[in-house]
Amino acid sequence: MRQTVALFVDAYRELNHRRLFWITIVLSGLVVAGFAAIGNDEEGLTVLHWSIPFPFVSTNFIPEADFYKFTFAQLGVGYWLAWIATIIGLVSTASIFPDFVDRGSIDLMLSKPIGRARLFFTKFLTGLMFAGLQVTVFTLASFLVIGLRGGDWEPWIFIAVPLVLVFYSYLFAVQAAIGLVTGSVIASVIGVFLFWFVVSLVQTGDGITLAWRITNEISSERKIVRVEKQEGRVMDTSARLVDLRLAADGGDAEAADQLPELELELVNKRERLDTITFELAEEIETLDLSQSINGWFHIANTCLPKTSETIDLLARLLEDYAGLMRPAAPADDTVRQFGEMVGRGEFQERFDAELDASHGPFWILGTSLGFEALVLGFAVWRFRRRDF
Amino acid sequence: MHEKTSSTSSSPSSSPPTAPTESEGGREYAVDLHDVRKSYKGKVHALRGIEMKAQRGEIFGLLGPNGAGKSTLVKIMLTVVRPTRARGTILGRPIGHQATLRRVGYLPEKHRFPIYQTGRQAIEFVGAMSQVDAKTCRNKADELLDLVGMSDWGDKKVSTYSKGMLQRVGIAAAMVNDPDLVVLDEPTDGVDPVGRKDIRDVLVKIRDRGACVFLNSHLLSELEMVCDRVAILVQGEVAAQGTIEELTSASRRYEITIAGSPPDWTDHNGLSLTSLPGPLDGTSTLALPTAEANEIQDILDQLRRENRTIVSLRPVRETLEDLFMRYVHDPETGRAKAPGAIRNIQASKGGDA
Repeated sequence: MRQTVALFVDAYRELNHRRLFWITIVLSGLVVAGFAAIGNDEEGLTVLHWSIPFPFVSTNFIPEADFYKFTFAQLGVGYWLAWIATIIGLVSTASIFPDFVDRGSIDLMLSKPIGRARLFFTKFLTGLMFAGLQVTVFTLASFLVIGLRGGDWEPWIFIAVPLVLVFYSYLFAVQAAIGLVTGSVIASVIGVFLFWFVVSLVQTGDGITLAWRITNEISSERKIVRVEKQEGRVMDTSARLVDLRLAADGGDAEAADQLPELELELVNKRERLDTITFELAEEIETLDLSQSINGWFHIANTCLPKTSETIDLLARLLEDYAGLMRPAAPADDTVRQFGEMVGRGEFQERFDAELDASHGPFWILGTSLGFEALVLGFAVWRFRRRDF
Repeated sequence: MHEKTSSTSSSPSSSPPTAPTESEGGREYAVDLHDVRKSYKGKVHALRGIEMKAQRGEIFGLLGPNGAGKSTLVKIMLTVVRPTRARGTILGRPIGHQATLRRVGYLPEKHRFPIYQTGRQAIEFVGAMSQVDAKTCRNKADELLDLVGMSDWGDKKVSTYSKGMLQRVGIAAAMVNDPDLVVLDEPTDGVDPVGRKDIRDVLVKIRDRGACVFLNSHLLSELEMVCDRVAILVQGEVAAQGTIEELTSASRRYEITIAGSPPDWTDHNGLSLTSLPGPLDGTSTLALPTAEANEIQDILDQLRRENRTIVSLRPVRETLEDLFMRYVHDPETGRAKAPGAIRNIQASKGGDA
């Protein structure tokens, strides 16, 4: 315990020494000040005592408390903490592990009565202090703003602290592993940003290909219905033709007159059926392709940490537990996407259902933390085996 | 060659306690190493079966040319480097026994304190990592800063320190846990002569407290002044080990400088004389291979009978530097042995596989 406390106190001294830490805290303060300065009323957006007529954010559309919660979740956490503060944090903490394994400092640490695994994990946790302090200060300040300005003292917004910390830990684990193996600050910075970029690409790819897949599913299902209907029409016409032929054979002159017209109609319907059957085959081929590509993206996404999706959990949790107003369902008009005409409402409903089924909170956090555990496991294995 | 003994591969907490090993003088061995080997990828043999003992209450000097394996050996003792094979004990416990490290102080070569720490914070942090409680750490920091002459600088950032000041604080940090074994790797590196004297005095104080000081240094004159026992490491092996007195006893002799040419006799009562040029013009030096003063009295009488003027008489023995140079030179070729570790191709010639 004495050693753990000493490592945390030392980490705080290190943070205190870094200018970027204080710059980020000051910037966080400015963001919260900006957050406190804005609001909404019956007419629209307010900035200090000025009112900007912007009806879509007026209290008629979004209650005051929800306006603040939404701004906190989407802008404060979604952009400030999850992007800008994280970038600053990763730059600032990049030297922690390269400095740690540097000759002259690591020798002394390893000669102390502390196991290498414990030393590594404690050092890793101390490295998370940067993000931990930033998000705690920011969330606490936001809690006060939402309470004082929105009149809603919502404790659920503190869920942002563990969520942002978990999100940051995915990236910091990779940075720590690179720093430990290479001993290079530059490699740590470049490596972690490259990794973040790849992870973001995979997540985006998973989302886009899922949308493509669902669009194709809707389109194919429609086409199947059309084929089935057309088959029914063909069968119906065939049956009528058989009856007509029997009547004509029985000497019904009127039936005999109608025969050529009905035969032509059947031919046309069969041709139409052939056409849409061919189109369906093409649709199914595209659907198979989209399923396959989405499957690969989903596997890759499953293996990697889900940075954006972890942050997006905040809005989901605030909607579920803090009464944050859900976005209105889109109108059920038909739009063209991925070359197909689909109903927006139907698409959104199926997309959300698929997300709930295959991108649930346990999947997001479980697989991401699994990846982090693997990275940290590799790093600690390397650290334990290495001679310094 | 590459197998690991249980003492190094088992977890520290599960290592069975080992009875303290005692030296012939009855003192506990602080360092008792047997067959310590380290090879890298099976090709480079940094250490080739080190046997070494250092007692508590003595200053033990480890010397050797660059790449001889001194730092590797020290790092193995302190669990910084994993041995390929090692038997033996540190403070009576198997090498690698983690709890024992609480009783060990260490100053690594080219150590680096974080620049955001003050000298006092650096000492207290090292103390905390050695599981010394906070109050004791604070008190010890004051005491040790005073001991190493850094009281006025304790609350200043280490980034403002000179090399010598960093070494002083490093030595203080190595002592914060009242260690029974203090391992110092090049402690006087970058320290001025006054600082070196101060550090030597500190080392003597540590020894007098009953601890073993294990010193790794290139500065042979420093070691000679302060060490009770030394070991010379050459190409990963212990070439010699013992007190400086023991190691240099074979070279002890008397040298008599006389005016004029040397006598024409070269033997007197079974004691052979070797004539050397004298230190001054018109003088000669006679070397007598004995350490006993009574054995040279007859020769002095004989020289006086021959009316020769005796300019000086002095007992002579090898310096540590002479001794060191003797061991690092190949007796066959007369040239210095190649620096660095032994590679397989050389090891096979030397019989080490």
